[in-house]
Amino acid sequence: MPIFEKSSESAVTRAIISQFAKDMDENAETDVIVIGGGPSGLMAARDLALKGVRVLVVERNNYLGGGFWIGGFLMNTITVRAPAQKVLDELKVKYKMYEKGLYMTPGPLACSKLIASACEAGVSILNMASFDDIVLREKNRVAGAVVNWTPVGALPRQITCVDPIALESKLVIDATGHDAMVVKKLEERGLIKTPGFGPMWIEKSEDAVVEHSGFCHPGLIVIGMAVSTTFGLPRMGPTFGSMLLSGRRGADVAYKYLKKK
Amino acid sequence: MSRTSTSRRSEKRLRGIEIRSPECSNEVDLAEVASFLSSIFPSMSVSVKPTPFRDLTPRAIEKTASFLASSRVKDISRPFEPFEPMYGEVDYEVRGLTGDARLGGIVYDARRIEELLIGLLRTRNGLDTATIVMTDRLVSTYSYDDLRHHLRTIVHGFPSIVSVPGLVEAPAKPRQYYILKQRLASAGDETMDSELLKRAFKGRFLDYGSPKMTEVAKGLALQAVVHHLTLKPSCPNKKCRLFNAHWQEDLLLSQSGAPGLCSKHAELIRSLGRAPTISW
Repeated sequence: MPIFEKSSESAVTRAIISQFAKDMDENAETDVIVIGGGPSGLMAARDLALKGVRVLVVERNNYLGGGFWIGGFLMNTITVRAPAQKVLDELKVKYKMYEKGLYMTPGPLACSKLIASACEAGVSILNMASFDDIVLREKNRVAGAVVNWTPVGALPRQITCVDPIALESKLVIDATGHDAMVVKKLEERGLIKTPGFGPMWIEKSEDAVVEHSGFCHPGLIVIGMAVSTTFGLPRMGPTFGSMLLSGRRGADVAYKYLKKK
Repeated sequence: MSRTSTSRRSEKRLRGIEIRSPECSNEVDLAEVASFLSSIFPSMSVSVKPTPFRDLTPRAIEKTASFLASSRVKDISRPFEPFEPMYGEVDYEVRGLTGDARLGGIVYDARRIEELLIGLLRTRNGLDTATIVMTDRLVSTYSYDDLRHHLRTIVHGFPSIVSVPGLVEAPAKPRQYYILKQRLASAGDETMDSELLKRAFKGRFLDYGSPKMTEVAKGLALQAVVHHLTLKPSCPNKKCRLFNAHWQEDLLLSQSGAPGLCSKHAELIRSLGRAPTISW
């Protein structure tokens, strides 16, 4: 007797296509688009989805989590400083205290739990899709993102003349790390000017990254390391703890805005 | 002739010292600093008042936030130039002024902050009051000697500014600290590195939460008053509280305790304590 139930190739194909089409139909117009599925982006998406906000995460890689999978020197231990361990509690991630205020946990455990938590909260994921451009509306308000399949960008143009698609949203969150890709698109249009990283010899930048997470332009919220690039904050210092709290703060700002609307 | 001269001297007599508290931190025991200054200048009233950045009108908050946001040092290798701040930068400053954001990690041009404080305090204090503004902001000045900005513990002026995080961040830590830090940074996780470095160089630099913060602040407050009276606040002697330390180890040495003044400045302070007159 076979282990698995009988099915057909066409049924498998139809299942994949129909679900994808349904998801894309829903995501064509959503509440919040988060560009970048690293720790800050996932955290923001999760918190928003838990509050009933419709969120789509656009991730250019096949995998989510960004650099959250691994700690320093390619070693699996990641560290977070208090009070970020409270987020680990919420995600049901086990951790050990290294010393007062400093906690450590395996990267794969924390990262996979964060991804699972975001997915369970109802976040939609569009992976292997790269951010291409922004959608602008009245007074240059950011109102969506233009995306394309990641492999398209990797192939010669004459082979892959594939036009991207535009997705509309009430808010866009830039969680693209040091690149601050969404903010850079505004800069290309002369709508914003980023100073790049600030002085590198200041160590107290974690608080500054969290405190600056929020609107940087109408319709656009910036979180995670993109905050450093956008506001010229010190490059050194920000760690996973601040990425999680930056995402949380971005979600708070977004939620308050959406609630007012 | 002598009457005019007497009258001028009496006009320049210092009547009081006002310490303005930092925006939110309590790293420094201000009552202790005030009591230290009172013991040196017994004839003067030494008061501790709230930061001039608090209790501003909504319009003043907006204006001050915009000024602060455009006073950030964004390139340490260039002299400061004002710029048009971003929405998010102004928003952060508004939240900082209303107590909704913790300050930290941003470097401001010291001269711009001085300009701002002069405006905020103008109607309140004249030269007969030495005002020392403690702040939770990092401030820097540009040096044309090595073409870069330098963080400051104190900026002498009217008022003088003492940067509380500057006590920790401005003077350089031991040379070996940076060599080890560079090696560790190449390995990755900076959270762990910073804890490791703190342990390795314990006691050789000031850190947040240290009881020595107040002791150091006392010496800097004294420098501010001496500057107000003489315009010569610094001493080249490393064991004098008026020494302008560029290294943490020198800062800790010069501010390690009472009386901590070189013989020349001990005499000066004694005479200023008896008759605190502005001599410039």
